[in-house]
Amino acid sequence: MKRPLTRGALWTGCIVALVAGVTIGAATPPKVQFTDTRLKNGLRVLISEDHTAPVFSIGIVYNVGSRNERKGRTGFAHLFEHMMFKGSQNVGSGEHFTLVYNNGGDMNGGTSQDSTMYYEMMPANQLDLALFLEADRMRALDINKANLDNQIGTVSEERKQGVDNQPYGRTFELVPELAYTNFAYKHSVIGSLDDLRAATVDDVAAFFRTYYAPNNAALAIVGDVRTADCLAKVRQYFESIPQQAPPSEVDMTEPAQTAEKRQTIDDPLAKLTRLDVVYHIPQGLTADSDALSMLGSVLSSGRSSRFYDNIVRLKQLSQSVSAYAGQNRGPSLFRVGGTVMPGKSVADLEKAIYEEIEKVKGGPIEAWEIEKTRNAALRGFVGTMTSSLSRAISLSQYAVFYNDPGLINTRYQRLSSITAADVQRVAKQYLTPENRTVVITNPKPPAPTNPTAEQKGGR
Amino acid sequence: MLTRRMLTMFAVVALLCATPQAQVATQGQAGQMQPPSSKGVVIKGKAPVSNDLLKIALPRPHEADLPNGLHLMVFEDHRAPLVQMQLQIRGAGGYYDPADLPGIATVTAAMMVEGTTTRNTRQIAQEQETMASMVSLGTSLGSQAASMSVYSLADNFDKTLDLAADILLNPVFPDEELSRYKTRQRASIMQARSNPSFLAQERFSRVIYGNHPASRVMLSPEGLDRVTRDALVAFHKAHYVPDEAIIAVVGDITVAEARKKVEAKFGGWKRSGVPVPPVQDPPPVGPAKIYLVDRANSVQTSLIVGAAGINRMNAEYEAMSLMNTVIGGGPTGRLFLNLREEKGWTYGAYSGLSALRYRGHWSASTEIRGDVTEGAVAEILNEINRLRTERIADKEFADKKRSMVASFALSLEAPMSIMSNYITSRIYNFPADYWDKYPQRMAAITQDQVQADAKKYLDAGGIQIVAVGDAKKIVDVLKKFGTVEVYDTEGKIKGTN
Repeated sequence: MKRPLTRGALWTGCIVALVAGVTIGAATPPKVQFTDTRLKNGLRVLISEDHTAPVFSIGIVYNVGSRNERKGRTGFAHLFEHMMFKGSQNVGSGEHFTLVYNNGGDMNGGTSQDSTMYYEMMPANQLDLALFLEADRMRALDINKANLDNQIGTVSEERKQGVDNQPYGRTFELVPELAYTNFAYKHSVIGSLDDLRAATVDDVAAFFRTYYAPNNAALAIVGDVRTADCLAKVRQYFESIPQQAPPSEVDMTEPAQTAEKRQTIDDPLAKLTRLDVVYHIPQGLTADSDALSMLGSVLSSGRSSRFYDNIVRLKQLSQSVSAYAGQNRGPSLFRVGGTVMPGKSVADLEKAIYEEIEKVKGGPIEAWEIEKTRNAALRGFVGTMTSSLSRAISLSQYAVFYNDPGLINTRYQRLSSITAADVQRVAKQYLTPENRTVVITNPKPPAPTNPTAEQKGGR
Repeated sequence: MLTRRMLTMFAVVALLCATPQAQVATQGQAGQMQPPSSKGVVIKGKAPVSNDLLKIALPRPHEADLPNGLHLMVFEDHRAPLVQMQLQIRGAGGYYDPADLPGIATVTAAMMVEGTTTRNTRQIAQEQETMASMVSLGTSLGSQAASMSVYSLADNFDKTLDLAADILLNPVFPDEELSRYKTRQRASIMQARSNPSFLAQERFSRVIYGNHPASRVMLSPEGLDRVTRDALVAFHKAHYVPDEAIIAVVGDITVAEARKKVEAKFGGWKRSGVPVPPVQDPPPVGPAKIYLVDRANSVQTSLIVGAAGINRMNAEYEAMSLMNTVIGGGPTGRLFLNLREEKGWTYGAYSGLSALRYRGHWSASTEIRGDVTEGAVAEILNEINRLRTERIADKEFADKKRSMVASFALSLEAPMSIMSNYITSRIYNFPADYWDKYPQRMAAITQDQVQADAKKYLDAGGIQIVAVGDAKKIVDVLKKFGTVEVYDTEGKIKGTN
């Protein structure tokens, strides 16, 4: 197939876009057009045409994350994600990424608390290849001991590189451990080394059967494809994969916290003291979550934010203090964190943070602070129009998380109805002393005989 | 370090996105594959790879020269109501720090957003963030240019450009903000010293670039001490000139509008008439040695293994890029397949080629568990040795060429990345059809040529090894590879073993 694309086709994007998956008006933001189909086996398929570049992206989201893990098997969802590249019935170990890269594409996978995601981005003529690769591993993953051992080694090093060998690595795991009561979000996505080593081939096989079923996933294809032709190919590769009984729901209930939790730890790899404060808040896509994300922006987004201007620039208590509202599918956390400037005290930093929070509760919130948050959300949304990959991931993720892929077009608008009074109300309701967990990390090197580092040193 | 993607965002007129399927289908299992590049990967050859020729036409930017020397480049992209702008000011980068003021270019760029004749730092921050616009400046300590990045919703582009021009032309470098900036930077420097990859990069750059500007990866506390408001004003006045500057605009704007707006805001920027001084190559690198940064309590060893390389104008640049892709350009590189997919020693192992106007470097890097430090160093050296001594198998060579050329299609989704190629062409005076001929040049590269380059540039006598880890656990195994110099995390030498 020869597909000459002229200079005009590529660079008069507006005209092309109007007949394709993206509509753009002069004053109104663009909108993603897509088809939404459920195959006989339950796989939800979302297709959005965009012919502005000879490229397509596939996003596939499985409804399983670290929240589905049980005690003694932490890190399993992520370890399993690695196994998805180690071969299936018709694809050899490593062949998936070899074929994608050798043909000019890009791919990866990612695991979070709430889901596991895979993507391919490829030149337009490789649609069959990408669909075949995803379908083959959904149908029949090739699970064996040698591959499992190999990836346990790899993930152990991923853990050390990201956590155990980094300053504050322990801190980032301790904060949710201390804050949450429910196991689902209490443990880290990467999991513990001991649990990883205990994983068996039977565990992997059982996990595959339960969660990697077509009825537990959503597949989105965005880019230079023809919808009817693309859907026919999806049916050809995926529709005969048998569906499975739906996995049981995870109990996400988090009891209300009634008193402050606080812990101080030493970190032999850190050079500066760090403060973390988190508060329990509701799940994402709720009115309170929206107001809390605006609160995060008022407090810490950019150099115009209150934390930056007052705590970083003027008081010089920290180099940077972040604040944001987590938007999980289940009970979430509002997270505040920063390192303490050398020569300053962590107590003063903590006090200054609470002062700013109290100022939000009691004092005015300026109109520009509200506008800033809304515009940032709008900019984030229109930015996805320039990337087929981010649209593919958003569509499949919204389908799995909220059963509503249309959120890709509407989510940013939710902030337009949030008012200053809403922000103050949620600050008063959730950012309270009894609802917070505080972790202080001191850069105190332990004595040379301290066993911590030795334990983690090797297997 | 350059990643594979950054090296391969090149323009092409035709992409051969195919492997003849018969060729793949003849592969049975691991044992029958062409050795040893197939280490860690099994090709069953059943997946449907397209053999089609995907033809694309490469757009060229509209270009114009303004009377003050500023060179304008524009791509229209109306997919979303956004406009991006990149301004590169050659001569304002860290390379041009005066010897007595190390870091002045970096501080100048960072401090420009901290106040103008009509706006204070707060007003600048509030104005741009309320619009969801971004105006930022920066340079690296070895770069010839400083760059300004602007990003805005199309509706706000006029106001954003206004602000950008004010920041560029009228900064006042308030003393009070300078002192605050210094305090924050000193903390950042301390913080960086807890990061193993920073420590590895710092030591490696010292080894490869000696006393050259490119040897510096971060501001020094001593350099910060010497910066004054007067020095910033003087650096800005002398170096922020349009004579050799490039301004690139991409987004939901017409060529005519872009030109009109840029002329209105930057047309009055006065040229200096002083040419930007040429660059010097770094001094030769010393004999092969091992450098160990002792980071107590490390649970991994962070390795960088590399050598002096070439500059961007060198005729061997593309052959060296191809060589880099073979050994370490992503998950299909030999290092990744060997150290991760076969051995399970690491989360990743990659290599990169850095080539600017002066002599650059090639390097491989990985983080591995401490008890396999010896094996990992040996395997990396072995992979480098294979480049020198073994002819790359035909299929592997063809696969890598195809991956580099075909991946260009993906960058067509991001016009700023195509624009970067044309900026590169302009900076290095490449011919107008340089990118059009990229596939032809790639096709012409031979295995013998790559092997000859490996012998020349990756000679065993020039391979430098940097390791960051717990010295008491790894110093003995490192000694097996040669003389070991040990440093502390502050960058001070502790001794030679």
